[in-house]
Amino acid sequence: MPNNISAGDTAWLLASAALVMLMTPALGFFYGGLVRRKNVLATIMHSFFILCLISVQWVLWGYTLAFGPDHGGVIGGLDWLALRGVGQDPGPYAPTVPHEAYMVFQMMFAVITPALITGAFAERKRFKAFVVFTLLWATFVYDPVAHWVWGGGWLGQLGALDFAGGTVVHITSGVSALVAALVLGRRVGYGRDALEPHDATMTVLGASLLWFGWFGFNAGSAITAGGLAANAFVVTNTAAAMAALTWMTVSWLHKGAPSVLGAAAGAVAGLVAITPASGYVDVSASILIGLGAGVFCYTAIQLTKRLKVDDALDVFGVHGVGGAWGALATGIFATVAINSGAKDGLAYGNPGQLGIQAIAVAASIIYSAVMTFVILKLIDVFVGLRVPESEEVLGLDASQHREAAYQI
Amino acid sequence: MEILAFVSFAVLVVAWLVAPSRGSVAVVSHAEDRKAA
Repeated sequence: MPNNISAGDTAWLLASAALVMLMTPALGFFYGGLVRRKNVLATIMHSFFILCLISVQWVLWGYTLAFGPDHGGVIGGLDWLALRGVGQDPGPYAPTVPHEAYMVFQMMFAVITPALITGAFAERKRFKAFVVFTLLWATFVYDPVAHWVWGGGWLGQLGALDFAGGTVVHITSGVSALVAALVLGRRVGYGRDALEPHDATMTVLGASLLWFGWFGFNAGSAITAGGLAANAFVVTNTAAAMAALTWMTVSWLHKGAPSVLGAAAGAVAGLVAITPASGYVDVSASILIGLGAGVFCYTAIQLTKRLKVDDALDVFGVHGVGGAWGALATGIFATVAINSGAKDGLAYGNPGQLGIQAIAVAASIIYSAVMTFVILKLIDVFVGLRVPESEEVLGLDASQHREAAYQI
Repeated sequence: MEILAFVSFAVLVVAWLVAPSRGSVAVVSHAEDRKAA
């Protein structure tokens, strides 16, 4: 393959990888502020540990399963095990950057996806169970679905559009979070005690850092440092802002006060929803996508609370519902005026694209739900999912890590 | 599409004008802090 490496593209992609890397510890702070003070270290540790664990898993076998040469549209081959053959020359996915740069950019997506799920089982999951779950989930859920959509698999061949991970990242993690919440059951004291956020400022700071990192997530997914990246950057910022305004407004009308945590959660919901669409839609569409994210995600969370599902940090409502909305909205608002390599959506006379997006959404939901259920049940048999009630009451920081977050 | 974008933003602005503006004297609960104290 001729070496056409672009310095600009490579610099942008590596900087984007670093931006996306920051999102995982930022998620730790976002979630850490939302739990009680006795569980904050354990919650932050979930994200930090996953950053380390999946960084190694990805180079050893994750990347080749997701992006290795296609086998039947289902999974990548083992040709690139331990990054054999993945070097400084361009690979098949990005002709202007080193294959290693593309690989490490994708690594950061593989890192943050299982970290998103941890919000659902916060404050009650055994650390050992979390470690085994993460390794199995990354290998048997994330890697195959990434291959289906981005690695030359069957959803990509079908024509499904997912610029930066609406199906691969957010639907898989959001749906798996719902399954995890149902399988683990509610926290001790749920519905009786006030299970309140211990540090809302930490959560807003985490959301702000997530927003910052998301520019790498979406604009970096252009792979090139050009107009498409600029468009993705603009629509990402606009959708996040619109969703934050919408969520805050809906909660204001519903509960009588403009919630600060609501604004933070709304921004994240908007970032989630624009993720699959960011390389295909214009700025007007991003306003509508942000509006929908604010309304749909807020409503979904009210519904899960009414059904008494203890998705502790609302992962399903934000990522599952936001990801599904974003994936379907891509099928509505996509236009070749933004990305000539894509397809028009329903609003531009191509209703078939919405159908393809619906297939991608359904496949991601069904596969991740079934696999997550099986993985959790196996772990429950061999390791045990939950800490004993006495340890849960004491708090995971002390019982799982023998440390305390604050000495004040 | 542009018209829908303007309309949706205008709806939010109107909502802010009609939303409740009275403050609350109720203390937000921080159960753990109370226990610690």
